[in-house]
Amino acid sequence: MHIMEGFLPSPWWQIWFLISAPFLAYGMYQLRQIYEERRETLPLLAVAGAFIFVLSSLKLPSVTGSCSHPTGTGLGAIVFGPFITSVLGLIVLIYQALFLAHGGLTTLGANVFSMGIAGPLLAYGIYRAGTKAGINPFVVVFLAASLADLFTYIITSLQLALAFPAEAGGIMTSFLAFGTVFAITQIPLAIIEGLIIALIFKYIIAVRPDLLVRLDVLSQTAVNRIREAIA
Amino acid sequence: MENILDDYAHTNGLRDVDTRLKLILGAGAILISVSSASPVAPLFIAASMALVTVWLAKIPAAFYSRLLAIPAGFALTSGIVLIFLTGGGVPLWEIQLPGLTLSVTTAAIGLASVVFARTLGGMCSLYFIALSTPMVEMFSVMRSLHLPREFVDLSMLVYRFIFILIGEAIAIHNAQEMRHGYVRFSTSIQSFSMLGAMLFIRSLAKGEDLIRAMDARCYDGKLELISEKRNLSIAGLLCVAGYLTACTLILLSTTDITIVWGNL
Repeated sequence: MHIMEGFLPSPWWQIWFLISAPFLAYGMYQLRQIYEERRETLPLLAVAGAFIFVLSSLKLPSVTGSCSHPTGTGLGAIVFGPFITSVLGLIVLIYQALFLAHGGLTTLGANVFSMGIAGPLLAYGIYRAGTKAGINPFVVVFLAASLADLFTYIITSLQLALAFPAEAGGIMTSFLAFGTVFAITQIPLAIIEGLIIALIFKYIIAVRPDLLVRLDVLSQTAVNRIREAIA
Repeated sequence: MENILDDYAHTNGLRDVDTRLKLILGAGAILISVSSASPVAPLFIAASMALVTVWLAKIPAAFYSRLLAIPAGFALTSGIVLIFLTGGGVPLWEIQLPGLTLSVTTAAIGLASVVFARTLGGMCSLYFIALSTPMVEMFSVMRSLHLPREFVDLSMLVYRFIFILIGEAIAIHNAQEMRHGYVRFSTSIQSFSMLGAMLFIRSLAKGEDLIRAMDARCYDGKLELISEKRNLSIAGLLCVAGYLTACTLILLSTTDITIVWGNL
């Protein structure tokens, strides 16, 4: 869910740029390091960015009939780590604003924070913790993707609430109001996105598991175990 | 998805105007819209930007109006929340719900109308940039602003691949559609995931091909750009400066004006 151009008043849009800046700077730093070590990762990251863009511009099958798109950054975080995903997220959001009229330029800071930083960090955390605990990988991917989606939408509601606190009850009331209004579309959307990312994961494991092993998402033994289980 | 704004940007009427001028105009208009305290300046910007985009850049008016429906959904739902949430001024209308009272006040309507106008002004200015400036032109501007090299290179490659992957996605989607892949909700989920997975696998394969192609052409970690050195035209600069000054003057002279509702 993108905040549209012009919706966040000053000083809030500047504040969200400032909050996002250190995460993006760290992402750029990581990017530069990977780049120096193995320069062939640049094209790989480029296609990953394009993949996130295309995935997020596809219309999801939806029950409510509303027009909804996946965020796609959950998968990016699992595969490439959260900080590099935040740089990719920034690029994708600029293109979404300029090519698809989703989001905006002054609200870019806020949108990058909710979609490119907060969501991916949570997705990555859940994925790593879940794999370590030995939970079924599809369940872990489902949880990571759908909770990251929900978290993105909670952060967006919070961003709107901070900018427009309610007269009676302040930020909390306003947060609940924005949250409830968007929940109608966002909660089914998060579940659908979780399902779809988990299925995408399953298909990738079925066809080209070596890609995931090489990107250090899964170990070879884990792949073998999963392939036995779904065969 | 097939209607990417960049396609229009390559053939629009303002294609040959200096990129920096268009960016200054668009970004300036956005900043004035966002910082306005009354709906007058953003509405003026929205109207003038829409006029410039449709009349000078020759973007089809029907397409443009359909484009404006995208932010409308978000602006309307959030606007309604704003009207009920914020307060101040004279209450106009109250709804009693168990546990809470929702009231609409003059100040709330004022705030919602300003936010709505800002969004409209901002979106029209954003559309102006998106529909009049092809992305390829922006890369040289990004370079001259000294953004990190890796970031600009990455953006260029992402841009290139977006079109390749969109082509793939459309082809896969059509093939699935012909095989009734999207007739029911459950099959839609299956088909969509299959599409996503194939897209992922193919993109990585394309990435590997690109590495080989770039290595074959002696890629040393730098992508060079050809950009013509052009001088800013004085007339263009004066037009942009004049327009932005006019907008600022409107902004400064209308700070106290809000939409007055009914007989107050």
